[in-house]
This record gives sequence, C-alpha cells and structure tokens, in this order.
Amino acid sequence: MVLDTVMYGDEKQNRRKARIRFSLVLTMLILFGIFVVIPFYWMILTAFKTEAQVLTSPPILWLNPVNWQFSNFATAMDTAPFLRYMANTVLVSSISTVGTVITTVFAAFAFARLNFNGRDFLFMILISTMMIPGEIFVITNFLTVVELGWIQNQTYMNAILAMTLPFMTSIFYIFFLRQSFRQIPDELYYAAKVDGTTDLKYLFKIMVPIALPTIITITILNAMGTWNAYIWPRLVTQQQEFRLVSNGLRDAFSNIAGRILYNEQMAAALLVTFPLLVVFLLLKKYIIRGVSRSGIKG
Amino acid sequence: MLEDKSNVKAWFYLAPALFLLTIFIFYPIFNALFLVFLRDYNYLQGTWEGFTLFENFLYVFRNQNFTQALTNTMIITFVSVPISVIIALLISVWLNSVLKLRGFFQTIFFLPYVTNAIAIGMAFAFLFNQNYGLINTMLGWVGLNPVNWVGLGATWGNAMFSLLVYVVWASLAFKIMVFLSGLQNIDKQYYDAARVDSTKRYRIFRRITIPLLSPMIFYITITSFIGAFKAYTQVIGMFGVRLGPPGNDKSLITIVALVYDALDRSGVPGALSEAAATAIVLFLITLVFTLINMQVSKNRVHYSGGGK
Amino acid sequence: MEIRLENLTKVFTNKKTTNTLAVDQLDVTIPSGKLIGLLGPSGCGKSTTLYMISGLLKPTEGSIYFGDDDVTTVPPEERGIGLVFQNYALYPHMTVLQNIMFPLENLKVPKEEAMERAQKIADLVGIGELMSRKPAQLSGGQQQRVAIARALVKEPRVLLLDEPLSNLDARLRLQTREEIRRIQRETGITTIFVTHDQEEAMSISDEIILMDFGVKQQMGAPQNVYDEPANLFAAKFLGTPPINLFDGKISAKKIKLGQSVLGETKESPKDIVIGIRPEGFIVQKEGPIQADVEFVETIGRDTTLIMIDPTDETKRFRAIVDSDHKIEAGQSIALNIKPHKMYIFNQQTGERL
Repeated sequence: MVLDTVMYGDEKQNRRKARIRFSLVLTMLILFGIFVVIPFYWMILTAFKTEAQVLTSPPILWLNPVNWQFSNFATAMDTAPFLRYMANTVLVSSISTVGTVITTVFAAFAFARLNFNGRDFLFMILISTMMIPGEIFVITNFLTVVELGWIQNQTYMNAILAMTLPFMTSIFYIFFLRQSFRQIPDELYYAAKVDGTTDLKYLFKIMVPIALPTIITITILNAMGTWNAYIWPRLVTQQQEFRLVSNGLRDAFSNIAGRILYNEQMAAALLVTFPLLVVFLLLKKYIIRGVSRSGIKG
Repeated sequence: MLEDKSNVKAWFYLAPALFLLTIFIFYPIFNALFLVFLRDYNYLQGTWEGFTLFENFLYVFRNQNFTQALTNTMIITFVSVPISVIIALLISVWLNSVLKLRGFFQTIFFLPYVTNAIAIGMAFAFLFNQNYGLINTMLGWVGLNPVNWVGLGATWGNAMFSLLVYVVWASLAFKIMVFLSGLQNIDKQYYDAARVDSTKRYRIFRRITIPLLSPMIFYITITSFIGAFKAYTQVIGMFGVRLGPPGNDKSLITIVALVYDALDRSGVPGALSEAAATAIVLFLITLVFTLINMQVSKNRVHYSGGGK
Repeated sequence: MEIRLENLTKVFTNKKTTNTLAVDQLDVTIPSGKLIGLLGPSGCGKSTTLYMISGLLKPTEGSIYFGDDDVTTVPPEERGIGLVFQNYALYPHMTVLQNIMFPLENLKVPKEEAMERAQKIADLVGIGELMSRKPAQLSGGQQQRVAIARALVKEPRVLLLDEPLSNLDARLRLQTREEIRRIQRETGITTIFVTHDQEEAMSISDEIILMDFGVKQQMGAPQNVYDEPANLFAAKFLGTPPINLFDGKISAKKIKLGQSVLGETKESPKDIVIGIRPEGFIVQKEGPIQADVEFVETIGRDTTLIMIDPTDETKRFRAIVDSDHKIEAGQSIALNIKPHKMYIFNQQTGERL
C-alpha cells in the first residue's frame, strides 16, 4: 500500500501498534490453523499406532517415527480391497471427467459463440434447473439405470457405465465455461473467420487454449467430486469390488461387530485421503484459483 | 456471416450435453412430478392404483422420522452456515492482512476442501471418542470431565454438537478461498482513501470491506444454505449408515436421508413416490428459504464496485 | 483492385423490431492501389461499411464489387481480404510467428513456405526479431504491426484496418501512421482504414471518404476536401482548430455578418452560416470585422486570438495570425478575410453555396 510510508503522530508508537496487531492476527490464524489441521494429524497419528497405543487413556499425542506401525496399512487392505476401490475411483473419475469436459466444451461454445433460435430461452431453462436438489433426479436415474439393465447381474462394464454416464455433463460447468468463453473478444472470432477458419478449428485452436485455466478447474472439481461420491455409487453398485473409495471405506468399518479397530480404520482413511492431498499440493495453484473463481459466479 | 443463425450447427454442438441432460435431468424432473401423484406405484411391475394429490406427501409427514429429520436439517443449516460464514470471513480478512506466511496459511486452510468426507468423518468420530479421543483429553486439560460425544448411548445433543463441529470444519475451506479472492479484488484505493481520512480499522472493516464484499457474502450464504439443507454424507461419515451414535440410531437423520431411506425400499409399492415427495418437500423448503434470504439481502447488498 | 460499393445499405434489426439505418445507399468507387481513409464521427456507419466490405456483415441492400467480381454474397474467407482490428485481435496463446502463420494454415500452405512468408512479411513491418514472443510481451505498437503482418501474409487483394491507431499513445500514433503509409506504398495493396481522427486521415490518406449518419458526405483528396468542403458537416469535421461559424444572411447579393459586408455572391437572399477557417483572418488597420480580443496565445510563429463575436457577445471565435502583430487582450482590432478561406452554407440544408 502506497500510504504505508506515510505516518502520522508518533512513529514509534505506530510501529509498536502495528506489531501488536500483527501478532494478534498471527495468533488467531495459528489457532484456527490448528483447528483445521487437528483431524488430519489425528488421522495420521492413529494410523501409525499399535492397538495398545490406540487404547491408551489419556491418548498418546506424539509418536516417534521409529515406532510407527506400518503394518496397519497392510491389515487395512486385508479388511477391504482398497487398492481396487482406488483403481475404480480413478477409472470412474477419468471417464466422467473426460466426458464432462467434451460435452461441456461443445455446449459452452454453442451458448457463447453461436447464434441460434431459442438460445437464451434454453440457457434460462438450464440455469433454472440448477436450483433443484439432485435427490429429485436420483430417484428416476436409479430407475433408468435399472431399466438399462445395468444393475441386474451387473458386470464391471455396467457398473462403470452406471457410475459415469449420468455425470458426463454438468449445467454448472457449461455455465462456468461459457463465462470464460464470452470473455474472449469477438474480434478474435472475426479475424479467424476472415482467414477461413472453421468453427470447430476455432474452438479447439483458439478458444480452448485461451480458456484452459477454466477447463483445468473443471477437471479438478469433477475429479474431486468423484473421489467424494458416496450416495450414487452405493445405489448402483451391486458387488463389493465395483465400489468406490468412499463406499468401501464406510462399509469396511460399519459392519464389524464389537470393537472398532481405530488404527486400521484411520490407516484406511489415510490411504484414501493421501492421494488427494498429494494431488492438491502438486496442483495447489490451479485448485485455489479455480475454486475461488467458481465461487465468484462467473 | 456474422448475423446469420447457425441453427443446425448449434444443435450439433449442443447434442451431446442435451442428450445427457434430457435423460438424467429433464426427464427425472418430470418423472418425479409424475411419481408423486401415483398411488402405490410398483416399479417392478410398472403398475399403480390410480392417482392421488396428497397421499404421498402425507406418507412423508407421517414418517416417524420426519420431525426428527426436519429438526436436524434445520439445526445443521441454521447453526453451521452463519458460524462458518463468520469464521471464514474473519480468517480471510486476517489472511489478507498478513503478507508473510499467507501462502502457507492458505494451503492449511484449504486442506479440508480436498479430502474425502467419509475419511475425515471417521477421523472426527475418533477425535470425539469418549476414552481415547483428543477432544476429551483437551477438556481434561482445563479440568472438565470427559463427555460421551459419539459413543454408545450418547445423547442427541452431544452427537449433534460433534456433527456441527465437523460440518463447520468441512465448509470453511471453500468460503475462505472465495472471500479471500474477493478481498484481493477490492481496489486498494478505497483503503488508501479511508486511511487518509484516518478511519479506524474497525470502521474500515464495517463500512468498506463488508459492503464491497457483500455480493460475495450473499452468494456464498445462499449456496451454503442450499448445500446445508442437503446434509447427509457428513452424518454417514461420522456415524455410518445407522445415522446416529450406537444405541441412538437415526437420531441424526436428515431429510436427504429420508429420500434414500425410501429409495432403499424401492421394491415396496409406493416407496418411490414417497422418495419423490420427500425430495420435492426438500426442494420447496430450500426454495422458500432462498427467497426469504434474497428478500432480506436485497437492501444490504451493494452490487457496484468491489469483487466482481 | 478497384472496389465499388453500389447503393450499399445496412439496416440493423433489433429484437424489439426497432430498425437502425447504419449505412444509407452508399455509392463509392475506391481506386486501385490507394490508401483510403473512411472518416466520420462515431456511429456514422464507417465501421459497418468496412465490415460489409470484409464480408463479416451482410448488406441489407446494394452490392460490393472487387474489380469486376460481385462479392456481395461471397463469404469473408473467399474474398481475399486482410483485416486489422482496433484491438488487434492477436491470439494471446500463440507466438508472433504462430499468429502470422495462422491464416496460411487455413490455406494449406506448406509449413516451410508459410514460415518463409511469415518471416518476410514480419521483416517488412519491422518485427522480424520478435517472432518467438507472445502478444502480451509486446508493446502496443509492436502488436499493431503483428496484426498488420497477419493480415498481409496471405497476400490479400484488399487490406482493411479498423481504427488502427486508436489504441496507441500519441507519439506511437504518429510513428505508426507513417509506417502504415510506407507498408501500403511498398505493397501497393488497396487499403481502406477507418478512423474518427481527421488529422490521422488527412495525414496519410490518398483520398478520404467522409461519412455522417450512414451517408457519404464527401470524397476526395484530403486537401481538396479541406479547401472545398461540400457542406457544413465537412467544413466542421475537418481542421484543427475547427472552423469558425457565424450566423449571417445574404441580402442584395451581399454576404452580411450583422451589418458588415464580407463579400459578394450570386445567391438569392436567405439565412446562411458563414464559415471562416481560423487561418483565414488577416489583421489590418481596417476590415469588415471589428472585434475585441479576449485572450492571446502565442506558440512559436503563430498567435491564436480568442475573439468575442461582435454579433453575439456570448460567442467566441478563433483567429490564427502572424506573431509579428503585437496584440494584447482587451484590445479591439479590425480583421480582414482571405476569400478562399471563407465558405457560406445554406442554414436549413447545410449545403455549400
């Protein structure tokens, strides 16, 4: 800020005030930061404890890495096929993301760039369905998937289709991408037209590269959505090994009678959380920018 | 040329999306509106016993868990949304005021966004464990007795409190990110002008930051309300499919849970219509509160300048 | 390539069925190989005309000929035009080289040849060194040249420029307009550029077409239009500082400003507007206009006098005179008029008399 250099009154006093304010703000940030980090810490800590350590009261709050019990992960994986769940999740997430990006790019292009009868009306209808809770669709979609024969005697292919096809497009992403497309100046389109560029070529050589940040955001949001999906996969998968991570995790530790093995449970939870954290730290810049923008409504 | 309509071409581009939307969004909306008026619909046989206007809605209201579900949903919504909006606002303002360490804290505060709801729900459940959990240990540090938050026979109040902590925790990240980017979009000139007039910091916050950020606060509040009305996975994450602490099953049931409850009984005649009726009730509740929210915010949101 | 516009008309139809007549029955013949300035105030239809020539807009009526070819319904990419936009419309994610090569890609020119041609044209416009940069790394003037290079690389029959200088700062604008002049001379390509800046149009055009309200007002060499404006609009639009206008009348074959007689005419008695260019005044001991000096601005060899209009004390007019005259504010002086710097117009129609 330009005016930081301009100081009124006693300069020393002002500086002390600023330092106190900074310390206060920092304290609050650290306190809330601890609040945010605690569940992760607790998860990781527990995942490496022995059963005896878990069942110590008061709990052990720090574990020397030398004593970490890695075998919890192996045991967790014996409880349920988590690697299989992760593979399923990655597959479902890739297919639905690729599908979503393709349908979204085409539809957003039509809404942003082409002139056709009923465009505004159709767009308004799409926007107004965004208000309707997904549960209303789920009921019929479940019936549709049954009708398509993807539930009875389910094959892996059927399960994948049932989990991806309904999510291969998104009105919100169409809306989001259309906003990005519309920020590209019309003149670019005219210039390309004068040079004899076809619409399809213009879309893929000019618009898509320019709107790439938005497309990356859509990819990330969609992939994370799949990683979190619980309800739909539970409804449409008939066999244990077709499930996604969320279902696998919940089921593996819901039906055990008697004592819950917390260290194994947390090891499994960490197994599921870890890939996401790695992806986040690698793509932090894109995720933060993309998510903030998606929240700013266009 | 420019003004020419490209009807055929446009529909070609729209076809893939529209095809999917028609099957998985538009048709389901109409079908739900159809199902809800069928008496004893049996989808396995495709038969029903005539039409009814209110019967399916009466099933919803007569469901023994409906009052509990409605209460829980309302509490989750009206407690977690205001608290998380306020905390997120404060954190983002603080974040915006520090230059050093901002990136580090930003990463920390954003972590909850990229996690799996079930996994973290489980971690929270164990945090609130009566004997081995961190929360009771911390209470012990300040001389308080351990509380049975989520264990066998835990009261509804204790379980609800634990759930709310989790829900607030999980919903902070997105709000902080949006508010922070909104704050960074506010023109620094406003602050310089205010400081030249030697405005107190608190007043700068009240009179400049909040009004300029108000469109974003409004948008986030509305979408958070809509999201909170649909609370379900968080309950599953923390308490599993029994939707409550052991021995107090279904005490934390929500309206969305009722939809899936009915859907799980899909073979029973009328269950699908009940599911549709429940979802429509949820939609109407959401709609009413969104409209109220918009009405209330009308005079308090400043749309010019600031975070676009 | 001679370009002929015949009866060219464009009506924009709004959704609420309000029609706007943007270009009204334009008849123009643009000689081959010349640099033509399409000049007028904003909203006069000049850009619409340019876009119709480019093929991006379809005329409501009338025809466009390139030489003997009627191109009215030919799509833009088949017209062989190069178009430069006001904001340059460079593709932000492509390098300069990729931008310039892009039109050739559509023409299926082999890559080697395309690169050669791109380099040649880049050298011509003076950006040969910048080929690997992205548009964001270029100055406004450099971006402008890339845009011109991209328009020229496919060797168009016609080069169209839409307000090519308006996004540049004053110094660059001077430099770039000379550059456009030079490139046009070297390529010999028929070039039409749209501008609202009369000085810009006058300085580099072989001919200007002056438009207002969608109607052609006058066409000709810049100095001719300046010296012989066809109507009040043309007289007002050209010249800085602008022409001075007075309400006068013709009576008994005399041009009268108030009681003073400024000249003679064959016209019948009527109300007129008298236009006198600021440089059309001469300070003399005696003259038809006697007026008070309000301000004196001396810049170099010229002195500008802000004078109080003797017929209406609320109005001011401007005279540029030799700085040898020692004139001070508050003085009352006599002014004579150079006859060829004075024009009279019909007060109703604005027609030159």
